[in-house]
Amino acid sequence: MAKQERRVGYGLPVVLAVGLHVGILLLSVLRWPASEPEQTSSAIVQATLVSTETATDQAQRAKEAQARAAESQAQQEKAQEQEQQQAEQQRRAEEQARERREAEQQALQETRQQAEQEAQRRAERAEQQAAEREAQAEAERQRQAEKARQQAEAEKQRQAEEARRQAEAEKQRQAEEARRQAEAEKQRQAEEARRQAEAEKQRQAEEARKQAEAEKQRQAEAAARRAAEAAERASEQALASSIAGEEQAIANAKQAAQAANGFKNLVKRAVEQAWNIPPGATNQMRAVVSLELLPTGELVNASISQSSGNASFDRSVLQAVERAAPFREMRELPAAAQRQFREFNLDFNPEDVR
Amino acid sequence: MNESLSIPHLIMNASLVVQLVMLLLIAASIASWVVIFQRSFVLRRAHKAHRTFEDRFWSGVDLNELYRETPAEQDVLGAEHIFRSGFREFNRLLPKTRSNQAILDGVQRAMRVAWSREEERLNQHLIFLATVASSSPYIGLFGTVWGIMGSFMSLSMAQQATLSTVAPWIAEALIATAMGLFAAIPAVIFYNRLSAQSNRLLGQYEDFAEEFHSILHRNLQGRGDREAA
Repeated sequence: MAKQERRVGYGLPVVLAVGLHVGILLLSVLRWPASEPEQTSSAIVQATLVSTETATDQAQRAKEAQARAAESQAQQEKAQEQEQQQAEQQRRAEEQARERREAEQQALQETRQQAEQEAQRRAERAEQQAAEREAQAEAERQRQAEKARQQAEAEKQRQAEEARRQAEAEKQRQAEEARRQAEAEKQRQAEEARRQAEAEKQRQAEEARKQAEAEKQRQAEAAARRAAEAAERASEQALASSIAGEEQAIANAKQAAQAANGFKNLVKRAVEQAWNIPPGATNQMRAVVSLELLPTGELVNASISQSSGNASFDRSVLQAVERAAPFREMRELPAAAQRQFREFNLDFNPEDVR
Repeated sequence: MNESLSIPHLIMNASLVVQLVMLLLIAASIASWVVIFQRSFVLRRAHKAHRTFEDRFWSGVDLNELYRETPAEQDVLGAEHIFRSGFREFNRLLPKTRSNQAILDGVQRAMRVAWSREEERLNQHLIFLATVASSSPYIGLFGTVWGIMGSFMSLSMAQQATLSTVAPWIAEALIATAMGLFAAIPAVIFYNRLSAQSNRLLGQYEDFAEEFHSILHRNLQGRGDREAA
């Protein structure tokens, strides 16, 4: 009894103590990743979601591929079965076709017989109809003959009356014609007199018009000549002025470019002064920020267009940009340069600052 | 952000001195827990053994028999050790001297030696716990101060100081203090608890030694009366 209780070794306590520490360490390590998604859910939902989606997608894709392979195998088997079935079906179909052909032949014979009977029936009916038609035609002929006789009589009476009417009409027409000719002669003479008078007037008017037009043309040509001379003179002046204008424009552009470079440097220096480089930043890190500015120099938006790969580094750059805004120097820029700087990129590197 | 501020990441990014401090504190914590477990096992067993021995001792068994049935000298512990050393001294002195006082003195001395050995055995390593409890907060604080020092040195290179610049450094430095407290708090609690337990046991041993001494004294008194008569 006493021997067993004598010494307590250090093996079990060491194991227990180390186990305790490892457990605490695991708890502290495991609790952090567990609490991460809750915190980041509001901030970077899309990013995390994308990663998980792709991860799960791969698994799903693998599964789907397996499923697809299984399906294709199944389909192949099915296809084979279907082929067998089709072969059987063909055989069956051939048999059926043979039966059908026989049945058709029988049916054909039957139909031929029926057709013959039908034809006989039709021929009989046609004969009956022909007899009826002949009877009708004879009746018709008799009716037409009577009508013709009646028409002929009526025609004779009409011709006699017409002959009388034509004779009377002839007399009246001749009298009227004589009268019309006399009137037409008078009208013609009056019209000729009128026409001659009008022609005379037109001729005089045309001559007057032609003279006027010729006068106008002459005046217009003179004016054109004068205008052309003036235009030549004007174009020479314009050339000279445009050359001068271009020189000025080039000078302006140079000034604008210088101002733009100066402005970019100004902005960069301002941001770098406001920049707190995070402790983990190395000189190899480089973040490109795209800035959107108002013409007054106020910051509309700043975003990372090319990340350095370190989230805290990117954030520190953005914070620096926000702290350095507004860039009042923007007001002093020429309008063209202002338009250029509505949106532009800046890249940041700790090496430039240190 | 979270990944960059998680505790393991901060520990990995700390400066060398702070890392050494953390390593020391982890080692101290592990060692103190080893001591805590070992001592609590030892004390629990000693307590149990003491109770069973007292039951046996007061059950009216003959002392010679009890002395003989207990195994060899080196293996005994606790009250049994005191009993054995006292009784052996008593048996050795009894034939050599007639003076009761000399015998009782010798027995008391032997029992005191045995008791002090037991005390040493029970209080072994408890001093280590006390050391960890008192020193590890200071060690952690040293790591923190060193880390903050480093952070301010690096801050002097930046143009503008903000919370986001200082925060990672200070968080990193404060981990050292946290680890110091993590090592110290269990050490304090268990040092108090274990030393109280061992003191109680030692008091019980002392009581037993006194009682045994009085029994021997009674026996000697009886023998002296017989010889006188």
